[in-house]
Amino acid sequence: MFTIRCPYCGERDQSEFSNGGEAHVARPKDPEQISDREWSEYVFIRANPKGIYYERWVHTHGCKKWFNAVRNTSTDEILKVYKIGENPPPLKEFKNTIKTPSGEPDVGSGNFSVKKP
Amino acid sequence: MTESKIYFKFDGKKYAGNEGDTIAAALLRNNVRLIGRSFKYHRPRGIYTCGIEEPNALVQIINEHNEPNVRATVKKIYEGMIIKSQNRWPSLKTDLGSINNILSPIFSAGFYYKTFMGPKGFWKNVYEPLIRRTAGLGKPPKEFKSKSIHQHHNVDIIIVGGGLSGLLAAKKFAGTNYDVLLVEREDALGGILKNANKIKSINDQSSNDWLEKTERLIRNSNNIKILKNTLVTTYNFSDHLIALEDKNVGKPQNNEKPELVLHKIRTKHTILANGHIERFITFRNNDLPGVMLAASFEKYLNRYGVVPDESPVIFTNNSSTYSLLKSLTDLGHKPKAYVDIRDQKNIEKETVDLLEKLNIPFYPKSEIEGCEGQKEVKKVSIRTKKNQISKIKTSMLCVSGGFNPDIHLFTQSKGLLKWDKDHLTFKPDRIFQKTITLGSVSGNFSYEKLLVEVEKKLSEFEGLNELEVKFELSGPEKFQIKELWETKQEKKSLWSKSFIDLQNDVTTKDLKQAVNEGFNRIEHLKRFTTNSMGTDQGKISSINALGIVSKILKKDISEVGTTTYRPPYSPVNFSAIAGRSTYEFYDPERKTPLHSWHINQNAVFENVGQWKRPWYFKKSEDETMHQSVQREAEQVRKTAGILDGSTLGKIEIKGKDALTFVNLMYTNSFTKMKPKTGRYALMLGEDGMIKDDGIVCKINDQHFIVTTTTGNAASVLAHMEEYAQTEWPNLNVYMNSITEQFATFNLSGPKSRVIMSRVFNDIDFSNDKFPFMSFDNFKYLDTEIRILRASFTGELGYEIYVPPSHALKLWQKIFMYSRDFDLVPYGTETMHLLRAEKGYIIVGQDTDGTVTPLDLNLNWMIGKKKKDFIGKRSLTRIDIVRESRKQLVGLVPIDKTLGIEEGQHVIEQKDLSLPIKDPVDMLGHVTSSYFSPNLNHSVAMALIRSGKRKIGSRLFVSTENLNTIAVEVVEPNFIDPKNERMML
Repeated sequence: MFTIRCPYCGERDQSEFSNGGEAHVARPKDPEQISDREWSEYVFIRANPKGIYYERWVHTHGCKKWFNAVRNTSTDEILKVYKIGENPPPLKEFKNTIKTPSGEPDVGSGNFSVKKP
Repeated sequence: MTESKIYFKFDGKKYAGNEGDTIAAALLRNNVRLIGRSFKYHRPRGIYTCGIEEPNALVQIINEHNEPNVRATVKKIYEGMIIKSQNRWPSLKTDLGSINNILSPIFSAGFYYKTFMGPKGFWKNVYEPLIRRTAGLGKPPKEFKSKSIHQHHNVDIIIVGGGLSGLLAAKKFAGTNYDVLLVEREDALGGILKNANKIKSINDQSSNDWLEKTERLIRNSNNIKILKNTLVTTYNFSDHLIALEDKNVGKPQNNEKPELVLHKIRTKHTILANGHIERFITFRNNDLPGVMLAASFEKYLNRYGVVPDESPVIFTNNSSTYSLLKSLTDLGHKPKAYVDIRDQKNIEKETVDLLEKLNIPFYPKSEIEGCEGQKEVKKVSIRTKKNQISKIKTSMLCVSGGFNPDIHLFTQSKGLLKWDKDHLTFKPDRIFQKTITLGSVSGNFSYEKLLVEVEKKLSEFEGLNELEVKFELSGPEKFQIKELWETKQEKKSLWSKSFIDLQNDVTTKDLKQAVNEGFNRIEHLKRFTTNSMGTDQGKISSINALGIVSKILKKDISEVGTTTYRPPYSPVNFSAIAGRSTYEFYDPERKTPLHSWHINQNAVFENVGQWKRPWYFKKSEDETMHQSVQREAEQVRKTAGILDGSTLGKIEIKGKDALTFVNLMYTNSFTKMKPKTGRYALMLGEDGMIKDDGIVCKINDQHFIVTTTTGNAASVLAHMEEYAQTEWPNLNVYMNSITEQFATFNLSGPKSRVIMSRVFNDIDFSNDKFPFMSFDNFKYLDTEIRILRASFTGELGYEIYVPPSHALKLWQKIFMYSRDFDLVPYGTETMHLLRAEKGYIIVGQDTDGTVTPLDLNLNWMIGKKKKDFIGKRSLTRIDIVRESRKQLVGLVPIDKTLGIEEGQHVIEQKDLSLPIKDPVDMLGHVTSSYFSPNLNHSVAMALIRSGKRKIGSRLFVSTENLNTIAVEVVEPNFIDPKNERMML
């Protein structure tokens, strides 16, 4: 359970929000002109990275406004929230906490509670 | 001191205890040692500890709804409490299940997995009932209505634990600008100061005086809230903690007040000062009643004033037992013997001096081999430094195997641990959240260093108080320990066992066997042996298990690692989690403005989402549902019927770009649609599948009103909002739900025009003036109503939208004006029947999220000339235009007397035989089926493969047995295929 800073209402409990999946997936301008494959990629395919993810949230039990957030999916840290229509912050703005080769962050996830010597 | 006695019953016998006693303290006061029988072997068990870590002394509170697995070491007694022991039959003293103990060789690790494999059906009918009867803890509680509540906190600092470290931290924050919550699980602050004889004085006052003053200071500070009897069970991600407060400590349950409060705490910083837990040592029969942890024994002396035994044997591998020795001898009692595994030269001078002074038998470099006794300890055998066994008669053995920082919460917060070689324990290393650990939970067992630690770790906060604290210790300052997990044992009898997990009856032999069988990873080993999987989560034993396993694997203990500590720290009642979200508060009930009328007319209600809708109306007490529905359906087509459609979702759409937006949301084209008309419309997802349907009414190009299905009202509005905000924010459009602003009546039947004209005698309902799909606003009394001519029955029909305040009067007025037509009120079941006769679909019944408009033959609803709408492009995807998709058809049984069941399969094969050798080809399934009183036979709709091509052919529908019903595949439109009736 984390909190999210709604850009309109301020910091609220996660339970007030709903996740809307990946952000900045543009709806094709002219759907009739593109192939089945391109269209189905828009409809069905989403990135699902372990790490920094740009995603949409809606303040369902609040102002009902949609907005974007940058979240580290392996630590659930919300790194930034911004309104719909605002430019997404560049990736290099965020320090990726994932260092290990497997992509497992050294603190905060996985089952290993003892620090490896 | 005058203490009033409190009387309670344990297993039918009456006992007296003192106020403030736990069940365990009171029973020890009465010399009761045998408390329960163990989980698997039904061995006699007693009181092992004096707190939340208790593995053995679990009891059932009969007068609290049979509450099972209550820790006798935590629950306080009150007058009239009725307690029962668990897992024994017929009685605690003679328990027949203890035969399992003799049979134990077959109950070893992995027993269940290996044994109960076959034959088929034996698990369900033989093994499971048998195991459930013999294994297990208490019996389930009786049903009761929870009065628990939830409480939310938003604080700067939470201090977990009101012991010495927690109090020092609280003192630092007292009177500052920080908002602090201090949580203590006992009913009094003080922790170690109340439990043990370790600190003689603080600032030259007795520790009790210091404690009282400190508590007063904290109480008066106005920025610190103290929660007692409150256990922090969970440390979630994002500095969110959950704590459970018991409001009924030492009191019988009160039916008026909440018994539990679940605190949900959001904090900026968490200070863990939750101390440590003493661990045991494994030896032969280390589970017998009379074996108790040393610090727990001392806690009974100091906190409860109970002497569990006047002359116990003390067994230790560390320096901490000095304080027990001191506490006991200060009271004038003399231990039978003091057994320390360390060499005499390594044992603290204070201990040796005291033992010598009081002439207490002292066994350095010795260990307890085991103990004897049937129902409790009678004798212990000591392996002396010369490796000889020496037996001593005693009825109690106090054990200390060292201390574990109580790291459960720290690891729940995802912090990392490291192995402390000096103190032989895991302690916190790296934090993941904003966590500060203070005192023994941080692995600091030194009081001298505690002040430095508090100052250093709280230095990040500004404006805190100065601490002036000086300790005078009553024992050795330095904590010293020598490694010992299990003592060397002599082979005794089949009955002899050495336990590593008391609650789940896991022995050290099981650990060895599991490693031998290849379970050499600690997480696998835990699950295979069920070690530390009891309700106590192995609080006194899990590190010992790691120690033993590391020896077997010849690995360093830090390499073996710990298993994962998961919330909750200690079991949490479901009633606390549910809080007030029970019964009528769990899910609100929504009622239409006509609800009372429906009740008066004997409506039987159906839940549709949160709504209560009339399902059918019982005309007489003995009328069956079938009879009601048939009567209602017949009457609608004969004269007229009326349905309460108030639950239909209604959304008003306004804005300069409303037309463009509605064109994008629905498949149909609304551009050329005339103002003041309505149109049946489909809403798709981007994948082309039907999401919802409804009627879109156009008032003008800037103003639309749409209806949705009852269940989808909220999700359709959310869907529209999502697109309006994220995809087309440039469109000037606003949506608003007006579901509750209008009650809706659906009047239907050949007489409905006459009825409408009588009720609204100033409105012309003729076909010219108010044709099919007309929509308009009318003045009605002091308000406005909206009327739409539409039909979901195939009959001439009108929908009336009226503000709820006028609804009941208008409804009654309609009935008044239609007495000569026997206007019938009908429910949802009749509505479903009538629409099925016409082949109209119900979204969610005839569709399931994999159905496109093409599959339903609704191509006419797609605005093909529109450039775009949601889901349009998907309708030309290769899989969507595939002819062999499942398509909607109608089914009519050849034998007109037969009925078809919804959900049955449609197949090509007439005969089914058992056993079925080849897979039966399923063409699809029946989505709707009703007996039509107007056609006098069954009609059904089905989604079947290549349905459109199969029209006119004969197929079969499965039944609950091997019979099949022959059906003819027809167009799904059974009555009035030319739709003449609704154009009347």
